[in-house]
Amino acid sequence: MSLPCGIRNYNYAQDMAIVRTKTHWALLLGFLVLLFALPAFFSNYLLGVMNTIGITLIAAVGLNILVGYCGQLSIGHVGFIAVGAYTSAILTNRLGMPFPVGLLGAGLVAGFIGIIFGLPSVRVKGFYLAITTIAAQFIIIWFINHWSYTGGFNGITVPYASIGGLVFRSEASQFYLIITITVLCIFLAKNITRTKIGRAFIAIRDNDLAAEVMGVNLLYYKLLAFFIGCFFAGIAGSLLAHYTGSVFGEQFTFTDSILYVGMIIIGGLGTSVGPIFGVVFIRVLQQLLTVAVVPWLGNAFPHLPAGFASGVSPMVFGLVLVLFLILEPRGLAHRWALFKAAYRLWPFSY
Amino acid sequence: MKNRKMVIITAIICLALLVTALPAIGGCSTPSKEGKTLKVGIMTPTTGKAAEKGVPLGDANLDCIKYINDELGGVDGYKIEVDWLDSKYDNTQAVTDIKKFMDDGCLFFTTSSSTEMGYVQEIANRAGFPGLVAYSSPSNYHPPQHIYGQTPDYGDDWTAFTQYYLKNIWKGTGKPKMALMLLNNPTGAGAKNAARAMADTLGVNIIDTEEHAATTTSEMEALTRIKTMNPDVIYISSTPAPTAVIIKNAKDLGMFPNVTIGVCHAAMTSALVSLGGADVVEGVYGVFPTVSWTDNVPAIAKMKEYAANLHPKDVNNGDYMAAWAQSLIIAEILKKALDNVGYDKIAKGDASAWANIEKYGFQKLNGYDVGGLQSPVTYIKGDNRLGKSLKIEQVQQGTITAITGWEEAPLIKYETYSWFGS
Repeated sequence: MSLPCGIRNYNYAQDMAIVRTKTHWALLLGFLVLLFALPAFFSNYLLGVMNTIGITLIAAVGLNILVGYCGQLSIGHVGFIAVGAYTSAILTNRLGMPFPVGLLGAGLVAGFIGIIFGLPSVRVKGFYLAITTIAAQFIIIWFINHWSYTGGFNGITVPYASIGGLVFRSEASQFYLIITITVLCIFLAKNITRTKIGRAFIAIRDNDLAAEVMGVNLLYYKLLAFFIGCFFAGIAGSLLAHYTGSVFGEQFTFTDSILYVGMIIIGGLGTSVGPIFGVVFIRVLQQLLTVAVVPWLGNAFPHLPAGFASGVSPMVFGLVLVLFLILEPRGLAHRWALFKAAYRLWPFSY
Repeated sequence: MKNRKMVIITAIICLALLVTALPAIGGCSTPSKEGKTLKVGIMTPTTGKAAEKGVPLGDANLDCIKYINDELGGVDGYKIEVDWLDSKYDNTQAVTDIKKFMDDGCLFFTTSSSTEMGYVQEIANRAGFPGLVAYSSPSNYHPPQHIYGQTPDYGDDWTAFTQYYLKNIWKGTGKPKMALMLLNNPTGAGAKNAARAMADTLGVNIIDTEEHAATTTSEMEALTRIKTMNPDVIYISSTPAPTAVIIKNAKDLGMFPNVTIGVCHAAMTSALVSLGGADVVEGVYGVFPTVSWTDNVPAIAKMKEYAANLHPKDVNNGDYMAAWAQSLIIAEILKKALDNVGYDKIAKGDASAWANIEKYGFQKLNGYDVGGLQSPVTYIKGDNRLGKSLKIEQVQQGTITAITGWEEAPLIKYETYSWFGS
């Protein structure tokens, strides 16, 4: 970890610290205070946007561990989110279990399903592994749509999340729940990547043959990566189910799976802040285009053909993604690292 | 060091300014205009995989609202203010859209498709925010809560067609043998659910159910299986492209026109004739919830005028007509509410306004004829389908022609069946 000028690590604890200096702590605490104070200022719509960002972020963090740290390309992540969502729905709706059981169960079941679909990773990698994960998405959704216990195409309604007697009914309470779990998941993911497990993932990503020669058990760690990545997806699915109040197969599309990969690439693969930047950037861009840009275009240029204003939205979205990949392929996390380095060196250039 | 401190102090000041500016940012829900407006949220899939239907639907909604505001002076003097958002046919976007509608003080909202409504219906039901869906599926309003269907759903399509078939086409004895060919999504599931619930009651024997994808290019294998069972009628609940494929394959196998074929309203459009070929689909029966563009009904002239002037590409488009009808229903709902409770009781667009709009608007609809564009809309307690009738149509000499008046589809209480879903 690069440190501010004049700061040195004098012991192991300092070396391993995520938050190293008082300034870092002040900024982190200030940010958290600001974050948890948002319901006092934000409307339900903006809190809703924040909630979708939080849920997306949890899933993206999991995918980043799988793809970014372990190098196992997965383009069926939304299928595992669906597993988590339906698991939680079945546990809470049909079996009457409390929400915490549904949440944890969703993560575990999604993780184990992830292990099953991650087995091909032992034999194939890259593009071929991606194909198997795409198959996972379609198989999972087909199963959901044709199993009567999941309600088939009609889906299942899901009760409000509740812990003890506290029911998370309002937008603000759901915000607190989702953001708390999001913060915990990000912290968990950051710590996973700093342990022996994380180093094994990185070794596999960089050169799996060399990793195996060094004694890294490929089978174990690859499946563990799938489990962890899909566990996070399951958690996100559970929160999504309780937030929207119903789940059905059409909510979980293949396009979204591709979007998740896009988010972590734009944010920065294999970095801890990358998913945060990627998810926030994509979701905010989507909202800005939909609620601000498109209506403004429609009103400003009424003489243009029908659907022109709406068509600008996906055009701009695609253009931004392409420009990003051309101009900053290492993602926003790299740009953030450059900014930090420049700030710390300022006014010096190097 | 000094400069560094300046930067830190500047950052802290910026943060403080941001915090103080938050109320302005956070309170950015657009209030209704000063004066007399009634705000309605309209969600259409103008982009995304359903854009082909979403664009004419959105066009018609806005055109009709413009007509009502400009030429009719609004509803009882109050202009309708539209909060129109693109759902992108996406779950996340639809969820944030409905939150915006609720924040912006909309009195109720509309969606085009059953899938969009499925994304948001629980959020709306939990908040008591009433919604109206143009093309619905049974899961949208079974059990009935705050979501209402403008036109009959895919289950009603099957029921109406089957009733017509039994009454007018079936000349044999006993129960006719029906095979179902279903799209693998709620369009097909709607017909399947209705058949499962009503086949015995109506007196039809479902001999086979085959599913297909929207991208199918051949259903020979499925039809060959069906042929061995000697069906009397095949019902296809799908979209135009796969329906055309199935009819062509049935013709190639020699099954059609000996076996009667009926299709749902999603397929019974001019696209079926152009994709399948007029000679291939000649004689196919189907259902549709609106009249055709050639019918002479009171509202058709103004609709044609606006379509021709503002959106010529949408002329002769059935979706345009459905959304025009939806906007007329929107106006009628608002009118009923204004007549029954007055503007003040619904002006705020909050939870009490939603309750009033639903109780005194939606639930007071009684035989409103929608300018003749669709079946009259009526609310009956326990049945949130506002439009309950369809027309049976047939492809005759390359043209889709209505062969009946409005045929009512009976209410099916799906929620009483354990297999329907919880």
